[in-house]
Amino acid sequence: MPKSYRDGLPITPDKFVDQLMRLKRGSISRRDFLGLTGLGVATAVMARELGITPTPAFAAENLGDRMSIATWPNYHDPQTFENFKADTGVAVEVNVFGSNEEMLAKLQAGGSGWSLFVPTNYTISTYKKLGIIEALDMAKLGNFDGKSEDARFTAEGTIDGTIYAVPKNWGTTGFAVNTKKLSKPMSSWKEFWDTAMAEGDGRTMVHDYQLTTIGNALKYYGYSFNSLKQDELAKAEELLLKVKPHLFAVSSDYQPGMRAGDAWMTMCWTNDGAQLHRDIPEIAYVLGKEGGEIWTDFYAIPKDAPNKPAGYALLNYLMNPKVAVKEHLANGAPSTDARVNALLPKEVLDNPILYPAADLLKPLEFGAAATLTDPGRAELMARFKSA
Amino acid sequence: MTAVPDIEFRAVTKRYGAVTAVSGIDLAIPPSAFVALLGPSGCGKTTCLRMIGGFEQPSEGQVLIRGRDMAGTPPYRRPVNMVFQQYALFPHLDVEENISYGLRQARPRLSSREISQRAGEALAMVQLAGYGRRKIHELSGGQQQRVALARALVNKPAVLLLDEPLAALDKKLRTDMQIELQNLQREIGITFVLVTHDQEEALSMSDFVCVMNGGRVVQLGQPSEIYDEPADLFVADFVGKTNLLSGKVAGLSGDLVNVALADGTVIAARKRVPLSRGEAVSVSLRPESLSLSAPGSGALKGIVRNRIFLGSTAEYAIEVQGIGSLLAKADHVIGQGNLFKPGEPVAIGFAAGAPLAFPHAKNNGTNQREDQNAEILP
Amino acid sequence: MSETGYKPKPDNATGGLSSAGSQPAFPMRGSLFRKNLVTTLLLAPAALWLVVFLVLPFIAIAIFSVGERAPEGGYQAALTFAQYANLPARATAFWNTMVLAPIGALACLLVAYPVAYYLALRAPQRWRLILLAMIVIPFWTSLLMRTYAWMYILGGRGIPALLAYVGIEDLRLINTPGAVLLGIVYGYLPLMILPIYVSLERLDRRLLEASADLGATPLSTFLGVTLRLSLPGVMTGFSLVMILLLGEYLIPTLLGGGKVFFIGNALVDLFLQSRNWPFGSAIAITLVLVSVVVLIVANRISTRLSGARRVDLI
Repeated sequence: MPKSYRDGLPITPDKFVDQLMRLKRGSISRRDFLGLTGLGVATAVMARELGITPTPAFAAENLGDRMSIATWPNYHDPQTFENFKADTGVAVEVNVFGSNEEMLAKLQAGGSGWSLFVPTNYTISTYKKLGIIEALDMAKLGNFDGKSEDARFTAEGTIDGTIYAVPKNWGTTGFAVNTKKLSKPMSSWKEFWDTAMAEGDGRTMVHDYQLTTIGNALKYYGYSFNSLKQDELAKAEELLLKVKPHLFAVSSDYQPGMRAGDAWMTMCWTNDGAQLHRDIPEIAYVLGKEGGEIWTDFYAIPKDAPNKPAGYALLNYLMNPKVAVKEHLANGAPSTDARVNALLPKEVLDNPILYPAADLLKPLEFGAAATLTDPGRAELMARFKSA
Repeated sequence: MTAVPDIEFRAVTKRYGAVTAVSGIDLAIPPSAFVALLGPSGCGKTTCLRMIGGFEQPSEGQVLIRGRDMAGTPPYRRPVNMVFQQYALFPHLDVEENISYGLRQARPRLSSREISQRAGEALAMVQLAGYGRRKIHELSGGQQQRVALARALVNKPAVLLLDEPLAALDKKLRTDMQIELQNLQREIGITFVLVTHDQEEALSMSDFVCVMNGGRVVQLGQPSEIYDEPADLFVADFVGKTNLLSGKVAGLSGDLVNVALADGTVIAARKRVPLSRGEAVSVSLRPESLSLSAPGSGALKGIVRNRIFLGSTAEYAIEVQGIGSLLAKADHVIGQGNLFKPGEPVAIGFAAGAPLAFPHAKNNGTNQREDQNAEILP
Repeated sequence: MSETGYKPKPDNATGGLSSAGSQPAFPMRGSLFRKNLVTTLLLAPAALWLVVFLVLPFIAIAIFSVGERAPEGGYQAALTFAQYANLPARATAFWNTMVLAPIGALACLLVAYPVAYYLALRAPQRWRLILLAMIVIPFWTSLLMRTYAWMYILGGRGIPALLAYVGIEDLRLINTPGAVLLGIVYGYLPLMILPIYVSLERLDRRLLEASADLGATPLSTFLGVTLRLSLPGVMTGFSLVMILLLGEYLIPTLLGGGKVFFIGNALVDLFLQSRNWPFGSAIAITLVLVSVVVLIVANRISTRLSGARRVDLI
């Protein structure tokens, strides 16, 4: 490589991006930052020196020299894309999003330019209904092994026997507690909500997301996380309005508050819980025994993908257990693939935050598409937030 | 002078950093006088006015108003009011509100009836009755000037300060306002202190003219005195038009000196300061003191280069060999064809006592501070 | 021809009487046309910008607002005023916003005025530019970044951690109304300072001297002259900040913990969460109308108070 102007700089742009990602990791969680700021189109470009490396011979099809993927912040090992480029010559541009709704809006508008993206389970049926995702050509995904996947996690990617999406990883929605501040042991959503109005007064956070906030309020009464029944939702609303004045915040950006000690208890996603516990051991991650949410993030390919060959190639590459294991170590969410689990270190597999006991997982429900798009729940959330 | 002076300066000096704007002025302004502070820009006249108004504090010395030392007294507690350059009328208030502004500040408060009555009187005084509800920007320059005057006078100040009040007006209006100001001063009977750089204005309006230069008072006197008996070459040159002829003292005889001009002509001139034989001098000769006649008589000979006929008078530029160009002003009498034509030779005479001799060197020092002291204050 | 009766006739009829008539008409028109063309070309980019990024989106939003939400969210063509009829469902958000915006702008004004006053009338000339730069430069950084900085300053590891050293434990500053107000004042301060500074800078100093000369104490001079004449700047800053606050959601969300619901939050939720574009559009249109009303009222007040004939809003 010829001598570049970058050689003399104290920090290269590459290193800067790495540092930035490291800084962001652990302090700002997945949906919050971008969703909150409305900066869904904000793009972290990791593709560099586009099209300089020639395509190696291994590809049967012409993959081109670039593609783009839409995903979540801090969700990949940046090295994965570097390696992919070294192997195939395809530079990957990474677009990060704050919410499924933003991804959907962008895809629906057309011309997103993505050849691969990462939707969450409850959106896949909507994408299929709108006809904007591809029925996957499994012949091109030799690294995917349906037999090694836990059927519970693959189910929502398959509609009427056709595979539209393959799973990336899964997780749960529970709550994180600072046990130094709230020492009473807790194990249920009922305790979460009751504590929020007592010892946790002014120190409790709930998501700025109707699916989980309303869903977990429904759990207080033992109703379904996905309930759309008027009387059940009315009870949940009553609870939420009662709790509202006692809350520290209605925000999905809960890591800063928890880390700073301003918040003592929060609704929390698996990977955030793992990160918080790793850095601050007194923060525990609890799954409500009444149930709650379990979720899977999938990979899917848009119908209008500008570079489908590269999209398939990258997806196949990511399905390679040796590649996927690094991804899981980087983002901290549990894998759906038994082959990957076999490669993970014991301490990861033994982490009850990532891999909870089976009896805790059993009552969990996947969020439903109808739950997310229900106008009644949206209005309930608006009433809760404006109360 | 028996009465306490309205304004008194005692050894007043004002410095701005390294620059001295006013240096060691002693001055007493008698009551009920119309006084003009006259001088070129940067002479310190505006600084003096602002020290009276209280907008500047003297670096040294005292400023007294009616015998009271004003040190530490802010502008709003001084019994003087000012008409500002370009008037400084409040643009957000109408004419009457501008005029009654000062009345509203009075403590104890005046009744609104008294305020509107006095404002009405002030408006009438400056012939603007009926203009009370006008906006300032709807008025002409002359009307604004009257509002400024009324606004300053409505408080019945002991002294009215006027900072170049007529500078923004056109010539015709200026002349009218000069007369009006004079009448007003006589009517009200308070002291007016006028700052101006216009010597005609100073001479025509005021009872006393205080000529300033380089931060000092050069001469204080009645207008005719200033004109006829200038204290030095600067005053002679600055006030009115004059011809300055260079020469050397050839002989002394009592109050008079004989001056040898550049062309060798010797003329007798009065002196204001002691002069010694051989000293370089400038002789001042007012244009109107020159008389022209057909060649043959007179002290000097020259050729008419230019003539400006002004009706009652005629001005001539006359080239005198070895001396230069002289300006002469001659009365024109109807029916006498006494106009000289350009190119015609003439003899120039003057009345005995008309020429005034001043030391030459003094001229160099008079304007030296002008560059340093800008009139616009820091 | 009597003098009063004289009127210039068209060029072709005057036969050299008027000076304009001696000029041939075509070159005149030609140069005028060229001038117009140049003006048009110079204005074209700005006009294009306005049309593409302001007018067209506004039309789109207006069309959305009379539509319906598609079953999967987004927009579905229709002609209904149901969205507008539904506005009361966000009445609290409107109410909160209409309270926050003026209070926030007022708090901003109370901080900004003394700063602008000092800068314009008291600060030494040579320091003025530096001080102004110090006020403006942070504004070039994204508001989001600066608000995040406040999150950390007010958060448990910031000021409360320092206070813990002196024995004040478990004090919570973040997610309080005070924190929101602080964030708003901080975020919008330059927008308030600059117009006030400009109006004070332009103030004729002799008016202050004239007021003092007429017997007004410094306080009455300030109230009667300085404040009055800086009101156009105050109104400009006030309406500018107030209009921006009408759409504000970031600061209340980040520093207030999202517990108070403003129109901005309602819009974000409707567009990005529940994907109810038509209702969001109806709210957006209403917000624009409210902003326009605020501007008009501010302009009226400003014109009346200053006695000026014309008020520049920016």
